[in-house]
Amino acid sequence: MPAYEKETGVKVNYELTSVGSIPTRVAALAETSSGADITMNITLMPFLFDEKYLDVTDISEEIGQKQGGWYPAGKEAVFVDGKWKAVPFSNIGQLMNWRTDWFAEVGFKKFPETWEELYEAGKKLKAKDHPFGFELGHGFGDNHGWIYPLLWSYGGHEVEADGRTVVIDADETAKAIDFARKFFKDTMLDDVLGWTDVSNNKAWMAEQISCTNNAESILFVAKRDFPEIGKVTDQALNPAGPKGRFHLMQAISHSIFNFSPAKDEARKFLVWVMDQKQLGGWYEVAVSYYQPLLHGYDNAPMWQVEPRNIPYRDSLANAHVHGWPAPPNRQLAESVAKYVVVDMFAKACTGSSTRDVIKNAEAQLKEIYRSV
Amino acid sequence: MSVRSEPFVGAARPGRHIATLASWLDRQSVFSWLMMAPPLLFLAALVGYPFCYGILLSLQDRPVAHAGTFVGLKNFATNLHDPLFWRVALNTFVYTALATLLKMVGGLALALAMNQQFPLKNLVRALMLLPFIVPTVLSTVAWMWILDPAFSVLNWLLVLVGVPKPGPSWLGNPILAMISIIVINTWRGLPFYGITLLAGLQTVPPELYEAATIDGASGWQRFRYVTLPLLQPIILIVTLFSVIFTFADFQLVYVLTHGGPQNATQLFATYAFDIAMGAGQLGLGASVALAMLPALALLIVALTIYLRKG
Repeated sequence: MPAYEKETGVKVNYELTSVGSIPTRVAALAETSSGADITMNITLMPFLFDEKYLDVTDISEEIGQKQGGWYPAGKEAVFVDGKWKAVPFSNIGQLMNWRTDWFAEVGFKKFPETWEELYEAGKKLKAKDHPFGFELGHGFGDNHGWIYPLLWSYGGHEVEADGRTVVIDADETAKAIDFARKFFKDTMLDDVLGWTDVSNNKAWMAEQISCTNNAESILFVAKRDFPEIGKVTDQALNPAGPKGRFHLMQAISHSIFNFSPAKDEARKFLVWVMDQKQLGGWYEVAVSYYQPLLHGYDNAPMWQVEPRNIPYRDSLANAHVHGWPAPPNRQLAESVAKYVVVDMFAKACTGSSTRDVIKNAEAQLKEIYRSV
Repeated sequence: MSVRSEPFVGAARPGRHIATLASWLDRQSVFSWLMMAPPLLFLAALVGYPFCYGILLSLQDRPVAHAGTFVGLKNFATNLHDPLFWRVALNTFVYTALATLLKMVGGLALALAMNQQFPLKNLVRALMLLPFIVPTVLSTVAWMWILDPAFSVLNWLLVLVGVPKPGPSWLGNPILAMISIIVINTWRGLPFYGITLLAGLQTVPPELYEAATIDGASGWQRFRYVTLPLLQPIILIVTLFSVIFTFADFQLVYVLTHGGPQNATQLFATYAFDIAMGAGQLGLGASVALAMLPALALLIVALTIYLRKG
């Protein structure tokens, strides 16, 4: 900010808000049409607040042209009714974090390629008192981070690409649920059903689990605070299922409010921030925690600082926003807020039949998508 | 002789006005309204307006940051068809009923114990208030650690007495999770009951106990026929407040379980927040929040009528 102020003479007020409070804070700004010019978005916010955001298609396309082009997942995260309603900034990927020493003890020198292979490893590791820990509770990231990719990798979806036809009741969904049930029973701690987003981090640092799904922060904290754990922590792409390998987009982006009295200044500022000179530095200080959505950074030096983070870059090739292949909308936001898909899997893991949990989820989704 | 009255009139006017104003203010009806006006305005601004706005929202299809469309009672009808809504309603009633009952029984026991003479009585009474004073979010984080499977002091104790490792999954098992939040709510609310009932106990005239003792009443009979009837109005008032606070509880669940596992601890307040803020459906969220109103209003009316009769 000081650099921008020095360069342009424009004073910028920068307000920090915790991740969990951003939607509430932005809702207050949008409802009162005052209080800020630019905001950061997490995940589905561009689709909730689109009517209050300026069309930034021109800025986004120009930035893309200058810096190697956007990953399709970046556009998917901000593209509302044919317009870029935010300038993508990064993904905060959710990938596999695994203990190399314990996996080696049961014969796995590399991270398993498929969910079935991971299940086999997990069975052996749980028998040796090194269970897996994948969140199945009501957090906001670590649960969706592996549940959606698992569902997609078996070919299951909530809604068709038309954004209104509910297709959760399918054989592919049933196969994903059947896999999740045995995966939970034979590899995991029971407690994952009640976990929120902090739980797997605590369990990791307590050496209670041998594999989880999380952002890069788990390795960062392990290296900083628990160096011995850091040495045996590695990260990998999500395993593949019968229909491929997938990852979840947990996108960060920036939007300009259409009620801003300083729209031109806001646009200029956003262009300046997204210029390679500033943007590269921003990504670098975060040591790839924010994975750039521009191909121009695919081989940036930051990826060499910690090569174990490289899978987070590679995951962008097959990353999608919640609810894919349907375009995100407010019905999807409702489904996510009600944990429809997460609870469908969690109920199956606690003993409900596959048929019942799918029917239950289908009824909920049909009610949610009735208004489209 | 001529009389000039004008100067007198001019001089007397302000005094007469002051006297008139003073006598007007002296009227009981005027004075009482003047005293009530500030709190009424305060309530109208901070309770009345949001309440009316909430009703207006609940009658609209109103996505956040979008214009609303009037839909009448459609949001309420949607809730009635939503199995999750009924799950939330059941959770809220079970949570409120059990937590209130435990707080009432525990609070009464606590008050009776605190009413005895023992060393450091005042210090113990002050310490008793700690759970009520500590910010809910802070104490809930402490409970999060107590119930954490990796670090749980509870599970450590249970394993010591022979329960197989790692011990119960307090927040992963739907029934245990509900029991956990009820216990924590009871722990937090017990001092409110305890202190209020203790204040009530201290107003019971000792002569009544002396008379009962002379008449041959046992300890239980003194409690049943002297203490309890005299405490009844206070118990009702405390229960009224407690039910309202517990029914609308938010922080504890939001921090500890966020309604999980599988909505086993989802309450009206957390569910309404998720729908309004997470899903951006302000109208639907308001209708969920307003669903709390009939039950609470009935309770308040019933208790008020009962108290008036008393």
